[in-house]
Amino acid sequence: MFDEKDLILEARHVTRRFPAAGGRSLIACNDVNLKMYRGKTLGLVGESGCGKSTFMRFLVWLDTPSEGEIIYRGMDITKLKGRKLWEMRQHIQMVFQDPSTSFNPKMRIRDIVCEPLLNYGRIHASEKDAKARELLEMVELPGDFADRYPHNMSGGQRQRVAIARALALEPEIIIMDEATSALDVSVQETIIELITRLQREKNITIGFICHNLGLIQSFAHQIAVMYLGNIVEVMPGEGMADVCCHPYSRALLDAVFDTKMDFSKKIEPIQGEPPSPLNIPAGCPFADRCPHCQDRCLRERPVLKPVGPDHEVACHRFAKGANG
Amino acid sequence: MALLELRHVDISYGNRVTVKDCDLTLEEGEICSIVGESGSGKTTVIRAVLGLIAGGGRVTAGEILYEGRSLLDLSPREWRALRGHDISMIFQDSGAMMNQTRRIGSCFVEYIRTHENVSKKEAWEKGEDMLARMRLPDPDRIMRSYPFQLSGGQRQRVGIAMGMTYQPKLLLADEPTSALDVTTQAQIVRQMMELRDEYGTAIIIVTHDIGVASYMADRVVVMKDGVIEDQGTREHVLYETDNPYTRKLMEAVPSVGGKRYV
Ligand SMILES: Nc1ncnc2c1ncn2[C@@H]1O[C@H](COP(=O)(O)OP(=O)(O)OP(=O)(O)O)[C@@H](O)[C@H]1O
Ligand SMILES: Nc1ncnc2c1ncn2[C@@H]1O[C@H](COP(=O)(O)OP(=O)(O)O)[C@@H](O)[C@H]1O
Ligand code: SF4
Ligand SMILES: [Mg+2]
Ligand SMILES: [Mg+2]
Repeated sequence: MFDEKDLILEARHVTRRFPAAGGRSLIACNDVNLKMYRGKTLGLVGESGCGKSTFMRFLVWLDTPSEGEIIYRGMDITKLKGRKLWEMRQHIQMVFQDPSTSFNPKMRIRDIVCEPLLNYGRIHASEKDAKARELLEMVELPGDFADRYPHNMSGGQRQRVAIARALALEPEIIIMDEATSALDVSVQETIIELITRLQREKNITIGFICHNLGLIQSFAHQIAVMYLGNIVEVMPGEGMADVCCHPYSRALLDAVFDTKMDFSKKIEPIQGEPPSPLNIPAGCPFADRCPHCQDRCLRERPVLKPVGPDHEVACHRFAKGANG
Repeated sequence: MALLELRHVDISYGNRVTVKDCDLTLEEGEICSIVGESGSGKTTVIRAVLGLIAGGGRVTAGEILYEGRSLLDLSPREWRALRGHDISMIFQDSGAMMNQTRRIGSCFVEYIRTHENVSKKEAWEKGEDMLARMRLPDPDRIMRSYPFQLSGGQRQRVGIAMGMTYQPKLLLADEPTSALDVTTQAQIVRQMMELRDEYGTAIIIVTHDIGVASYMADRVVVMKDGVIEDQGTREHVLYETDNPYTRKLMEAVPSVGGKRYV
């Protein structure tokens, strides 16, 4: 399904350690290897605090990994500085979770959506009105909204403005961190319809962070499951429920309340919480909550191994009998 | 007699009627979910039941009856006796409601001692026992922690534990799991269901997760623009209703193996 010639960005052995009290270190991302493909969506799922945002923030230069490289346009973008960095930034943009706090409340929508274009000298101040209108219409908002302030809009409308602003520079990659979590289902659906349409039209690559596997599987081409800073499974989005096999991914899937579920069945969520990222266990990070844990899991860390087309799992249960 | 009954209730903020002609009945041990878009008046309705509408909002028409008795003309003293004891509320982020400068244990002990004439030691033990029942690991450590030292899910379970101390007959929960991830949400949903099964607690839960609403509820209420648009069993709202708004809402719910947008 994924053609290596469409590979647009690749993270190699990316690790992030944060210094913690007592000279210890907190490992937020541990040896992450991921690939993003042109015009496709990579969904990143996992419990809160597992390191999803930490990883995606590297791609927009909000943070730098402690180790590893991120290759984009033939360069390791984690090492960029100065003019080169400034130029590269145009191509990767980000949309945040909370549309009510990500804008300056004193700026009009016109100035919010045109700001990046003016920064990069792509338009003249005199073209602002026309451009703002065009961008708002692209995200299916009335052009007149250009005169409004952010607080005069609903959460869903503000999130459309955030998308319009992120797309203004026509980036190749757009990162969305829980971009629909604060919205109700009907608004969420219209946003997903919007971004998938824009993706088709402009061949944009999307990185989408979400903790709801039910939502992400409805539009991601590729899904990566993260646990305690480790990628434990990478699989295709389509038909995900049939192939997904890591015990943690299954647990995430079982925790989704679906309107088509069996309502008479008692839900059996995994108990407890992930261990502290300050004390990552030596063996499998999921071992203390896993119903299939064996001696080997406590000693030896499983690594990602192919188990099917575009499908990799890090679990000792699937280490043998790999067919890919 | 129903446990709770709202009859033709209007609720206004200032001069604007925000919730109009709301009719709702809840039997003992029944679970009712309220769904609907942001700003439709869900929080306003359940806060009215507890006599705690924010920002000067008030009930301007109709009646709210609890065990046949009107809640609208209770004295502040009668309210205090009812709240926490008969009726409890869980908020979206229990952590934000807690005093950040005090340890969980100290708040919990105080809470228990306003409802019951017991020693500090007894109150502490009772609190710890409630935390253990909410399956919080290491209740002693939690009692000695400050709210900011706990995860969102842990704080939420502390909130539920407090709300459940006196096994209220009615639990009002406003988006209790919306700030949590799916695994923690599933744990908390399961705990609330167990409360009903073990103690017969009736629950009104406001949530924007239609899956959670359907799973938990005997009855689902759909609100729009301050009005109850539709209500019925989950089969009614999911499959049978002719109400166009409910249908639109249900169709927007993503489903595993369902509609794909790409
Ligand atoms: N203190 C207040 N003063 C004035 N208007 C208010 C106040 N609180 C709420 N409202 C208005 O009342 C309406 C209903 O608000 P409410 O908080 O009950 O909505 P909700 O259904 O709970 O929404 P959400 O899903 O966003 O929590 C909204 O239009 C809101 O703006
Ligand atoms: N600037 C920071 N300093 C120290 N620890 C951090 C920092 N940012 C994130 N962390 C820690 O790294 C882990 C992963 O966090 P994050 O990437 O925000 O998780 P997610 O986005 O998956 O919810 C958490 O344990 C978090 O507390
Ligand atoms: S490696 Fe072992 S502990 Fe880890 S997920 Fe697989 S079976 Fe469970
Ligand atoms: Mg995050
Ligand atoms: Mg509300």
